[in-house]
Amino acid sequence: MRTLLTTIMLCLFVLGSSNVFAQQLSADEIIERANQAAYYAGADGQANVKMTITAKDGITRVREFALLRLNEANGDQKFYTYFKAPADVYKMAYLVWKNLADNDDRWLWLPALNLKKRIAPGDKRTSFVGSDFVYEDVSGRSPKEDRHRLIERTDDYYVIENEPVDPSSVEFSRYTVQIDATTFLPMLAQYYDRSGQLYRKVEALEVVDVQGYPTVTVAQASDLVSGSVTRNEFSQVRYDLGLKAKIFTERFLRRPPREVTR
Amino acid sequence: MKLTLTNISLKYPKLIIVAILAIMLGFLMQFPKVQFDNDPENMLSSQEPVRIFHHEIKQAYALYDFVIVGVVNEENPAGVFNVDTLGRLHRLTQQLINVQRSDSGLPVVVVPATATAAEQRIELDLTPTKKWEYWLGKIFSHEANALFDEQGHSVIIGHEMMAPSVVDNIKQSEMGSLKIEYLMENPPQTAAQALQIRDDAMNNPLYQGTLVSEDEKAACLYIPIVAKPYSYNVARLVRALTADWPAQDQVLITGLPVAEDTFGVEMLLQMATSAPLAGLAIFLLLFMFFRNLSLIMAPMFVAMFSVISAMGLLIGLGYDVHIMSSMIAIFLMPIAVADAVHILSEFFDSYSRFNNKAETIRYVIGHLFKPMLYTSLTTIAGFASLAFTPIPPVQVFGLHVAFGVAVAWLLSMTLIPAYIMLFVSKQRLAKLPLKKQTNSAAAESLSLLARMGNLSQKWSGTILIIALILVGISAYGISQIKVNDNPVKWFTTDHEIRVADDILNHHFGGTYTAYLTFEEVRPQACDCEKKSHLIEAQARKRFTAHSPKETEEFIAKLHQLSDQRAKLAGCDVSECFYQLLQEADRLDQKILAGWNLLADEINYLDPADLTTTTLPIRLQTVASDVGDELPLLLAQLSAQHELVGEPLQDAALTICETHLNQSYRSFVVEMQAEVTAPPFKQPKMLRYIEDLQEHLQQSGLVGKTTSVVDALKKANFELNYAEAPAGVNALVLESYAARNRTHYAVPENAAAVGQVFVQLEGMKKKDSLFHMVTRDYRKVNIWIQLKSGDNRDMEAVVDLVDQYVAANGAPIELKSRWAGLTYLNVVWQDKMVRGMISSLIGSFVVVLVMMMMLFRSALWGTLAMIPLTVTITLIYGIIGLVGKDYDMPVAVLSSLTLGLSVDFAIHFLQRSRKLYRQSGDWIEVSQVMFQDPARAITRNAITISVGFLPLLLAPLVPYKTVGFFLATIMAVSWLASLLILPALLSRLQRWVFPKIDSRDHQI
Repeated sequence: MRTLLTTIMLCLFVLGSSNVFAQQLSADEIIERANQAAYYAGADGQANVKMTITAKDGITRVREFALLRLNEANGDQKFYTYFKAPADVYKMAYLVWKNLADNDDRWLWLPALNLKKRIAPGDKRTSFVGSDFVYEDVSGRSPKEDRHRLIERTDDYYVIENEPVDPSSVEFSRYTVQIDATTFLPMLAQYYDRSGQLYRKVEALEVVDVQGYPTVTVAQASDLVSGSVTRNEFSQVRYDLGLKAKIFTERFLRRPPREVTR
Repeated sequence: MKLTLTNISLKYPKLIIVAILAIMLGFLMQFPKVQFDNDPENMLSSQEPVRIFHHEIKQAYALYDFVIVGVVNEENPAGVFNVDTLGRLHRLTQQLINVQRSDSGLPVVVVPATATAAEQRIELDLTPTKKWEYWLGKIFSHEANALFDEQGHSVIIGHEMMAPSVVDNIKQSEMGSLKIEYLMENPPQTAAQALQIRDDAMNNPLYQGTLVSEDEKAACLYIPIVAKPYSYNVARLVRALTADWPAQDQVLITGLPVAEDTFGVEMLLQMATSAPLAGLAIFLLLFMFFRNLSLIMAPMFVAMFSVISAMGLLIGLGYDVHIMSSMIAIFLMPIAVADAVHILSEFFDSYSRFNNKAETIRYVIGHLFKPMLYTSLTTIAGFASLAFTPIPPVQVFGLHVAFGVAVAWLLSMTLIPAYIMLFVSKQRLAKLPLKKQTNSAAAESLSLLARMGNLSQKWSGTILIIALILVGISAYGISQIKVNDNPVKWFTTDHEIRVADDILNHHFGGTYTAYLTFEEVRPQACDCEKKSHLIEAQARKRFTAHSPKETEEFIAKLHQLSDQRAKLAGCDVSECFYQLLQEADRLDQKILAGWNLLADEINYLDPADLTTTTLPIRLQTVASDVGDELPLLLAQLSAQHELVGEPLQDAALTICETHLNQSYRSFVVEMQAEVTAPPFKQPKMLRYIEDLQEHLQQSGLVGKTTSVVDALKKANFELNYAEAPAGVNALVLESYAARNRTHYAVPENAAAVGQVFVQLEGMKKKDSLFHMVTRDYRKVNIWIQLKSGDNRDMEAVVDLVDQYVAANGAPIELKSRWAGLTYLNVVWQDKMVRGMISSLIGSFVVVLVMMMMLFRSALWGTLAMIPLTVTITLIYGIIGLVGKDYDMPVAVLSSLTLGLSVDFAIHFLQRSRKLYRQSGDWIEVSQVMFQDPARAITRNAITISVGFLPLLLAPLVPYKTVGFFLATIMAVSWLASLLILPALLSRLQRWVFPKIDSRDHQI
């Protein structure tokens, strides 16, 4: 998928002609557009993801899952993640309701335990299924949580520096995002720890146009401290499928929607 | 010829002194290059397999050396689980995670800003304030603020820190939800919150007994550091950060790295104090004996110069000063002065006869040359034999002491004569008391010696019998020797490291860590046929009743794939499963298509207005696509006609599920998960590890074990936890609790294990699971905590595991290997003991041969070996009898004993033999022997014993040990030489004193 929503990534934006106004955009406006481009393309979206986690010692773990995303009118979003491989996590599913005004709601379904469990609101910067992506990479970080400053502007991209409003809520002291001036997709995010050391980065390695939406099809997160790298490859990305809200309910954890099993 | 060196020195004393000083200057100039190495790990060669494996394990599981900081609160009724103590722990954790280097190179701790408080930065200067420590640090270039690597990063690996504030916990939250956050996500504001943290910690098997003590009195931080040598500075940083803590929050720092590193630093202190103190004691004693300051400076110079040469050579050759080599000075000093004391003693006694310095020296050296040469050679042989031990620092130590002894001999032959010629005035010598007018103390000792001489003659039989009995008892003692070492025990019991160690090991599962790893013996084993049979059996069991025809089709496909597979090399079965899935989909389509369609349709229904009446109508859209399934479903639902809306939907889906459970696809995926699961995703393997842990725990030999199974069971429990509804009776409550308890276990199948593990992989602290299992789940690492770092305790655990594994084979054959500092100590210790024994035997033989050459007689050569044999037997017998552990310093003492105790025998026998040739009467000889020669031997023995008494004051046990045993060795070998030898000589007169052999006149 690219981007998509959900998942991971960073991405896209909507207005093809934005460049005309770009020169006048403030940091906040650029970030807002990037947020829209990366996480809100279309009214809904779908993708298959092949996630490859490669540790420093070369051991790889591959996970394949399908992703569904639905935008709601108020900016809230719903995500459905359905695992297809490896065999031991077949049919495992996660459901996330991203609530802008409140904590997210999360559920998980573990078929081998015949277990549906609600996950209490918690830190969104925890690893997504053991990868180098965090939940926030998947569902997006609210622009309101950081203070933004435009530190570089070229014809091709902007670089925004972001400092958290509540430093105790996150593990970074700041991060910079390089945003494509045409697509407004975030192409490279770099995270710095409290001693100013770069320790993590998230990159968009490939972008293609899907139904008019620039879409990240290969995204990569690197943990520079542990040497672990996670690569997400998105395939069969589609937008505006007319996904129904009922898919994003607990009922569809136990019996997954056709959209992901087909 | 034997006087050549001495004659040159007598002729050109100034030249000799200048040359020696120049050479010494050369050695001294090496000193600033000194590098210290206080890592006992280096007792093993860096190529040693176990050491290489240890580092592989550290890499594979991202393990580090830890500084362990314990906080103990005995006063607060809640122990450490009170608002203040936990708050301090939280703050300390934050500070330690965020250590930065200021522009001036000083450490700055950062307390991150919170929503309510701004960021705090505290710059610290850890340079010692005590002048003495300050200068010591300067001299040994120990940089107290060195807390950063070359890139300026903190040596504390913040993201791997283990502390309540930064370890994951998984627990129940509101409305049956699961909460994943740090154990102490926020410092508590109320006593109730503090107790909640206590409960969470106690309920987590990963932390109880590791991070928090079961008695609630203590909590620990495990601070991972990039390299052991930083641990001392990190410990000092912790002390600085906790200096303002109230007394009730006792801060204790321990862990093998801190112990080892602290030992290294204190070792420097000892080098700077013990050796000079020993020198001073020797000096005072010599002064008491000879009362001539200028005369006794000579042996002091010999000692000092030989130490400088040995250390200068060691440093110059690029060796690090290790725990062993730090003792070179102390070992060398008594040996180096020995020859000089013999010369002085004789010079002192003979000067009045010649009244000429050069003549006296020629006379003294003339008859001392041979014994001095041989005593030096035997000492060199004893120490050089250490080069054959398999322990690098011991090799370096042995060779350099040997070199120092050679230098001491050379100096005795050159420096002493030159020195006497230049710096000892004739006037002072003229005032030397005449031999017969020695002071009363000397006279007393003379008469004592004379009485010893008589005793050895009159009671020779008794002496020999007593000696034999003692040797017999000692032999028993030796059989009782316990080989054991523990770096923490290198500190005296009142040292803060020992105290911290005791307290923390009282509260916790143990601060000594070893790692027990398991991996498959044959990781490539395919067992394709076995897997196929398993799948076949399972398929028959599940499907035969329901769909016999399809079952046979499926099994036929399975056989076909299995046969194909058998002809191929390699173990990739994914293609097989892919094809099997195709077949499964085909079969599912045949028998389950209707149910699938129906279930999907029901799943998407809007539950509003759904009743058993409206359901058939709403399902009409698919009625034509499904067959008998719809009527079947409706018939089954008719019994539940009261259901409406979602419950009805659920009931309908449940009925569909009972049929859909017969899906071949689900079965194939399930089987794939089962048969392709790596060893440590297989329940039977995980249960094997669980049983082993249980066995270890039951044995009482280990404090605690932690493995991936503990994490798995805890997560499985929390995931499956069901809270009893409010207001139910005790019986129901208990049934809930019992149900929940059944989930405190390894899940039933590989898929369930895999799904729980995925939750653990995605915790807040990424990858903490992988300290205990590799990412491919093919190898596991069990953390073993021991309450004692004694090698014997570690060995007992190793034996226990070996026995268990031998008696209980794992379902998949496994090989176990050990790593961890506590285990490494066992390995080098074992090597040391064996190495020392063979080196002792080797040097014994070499010395024996030397003695036979010296005396040109097998009998005399053997006689010379008797005092040292008795001494070594007695010393080690005492060690065995009093239960003192045979540790590194004790082991090295054997070579010292060999080198020193043969000396007295050489002097005694050589002089006796010479005198006998002159007089031909043994009784007369023995009377003479117990005058000057015995006195020289006695002076030497006293000098060395007393000279090393200051070592007993050292705060480090190895130094105490050396001090004590040096004194004992001297006493025993002095007695052995002066009692057993003359007793033997008188008993063996007939054989040892045959008619004088003219050929031996030269001796």
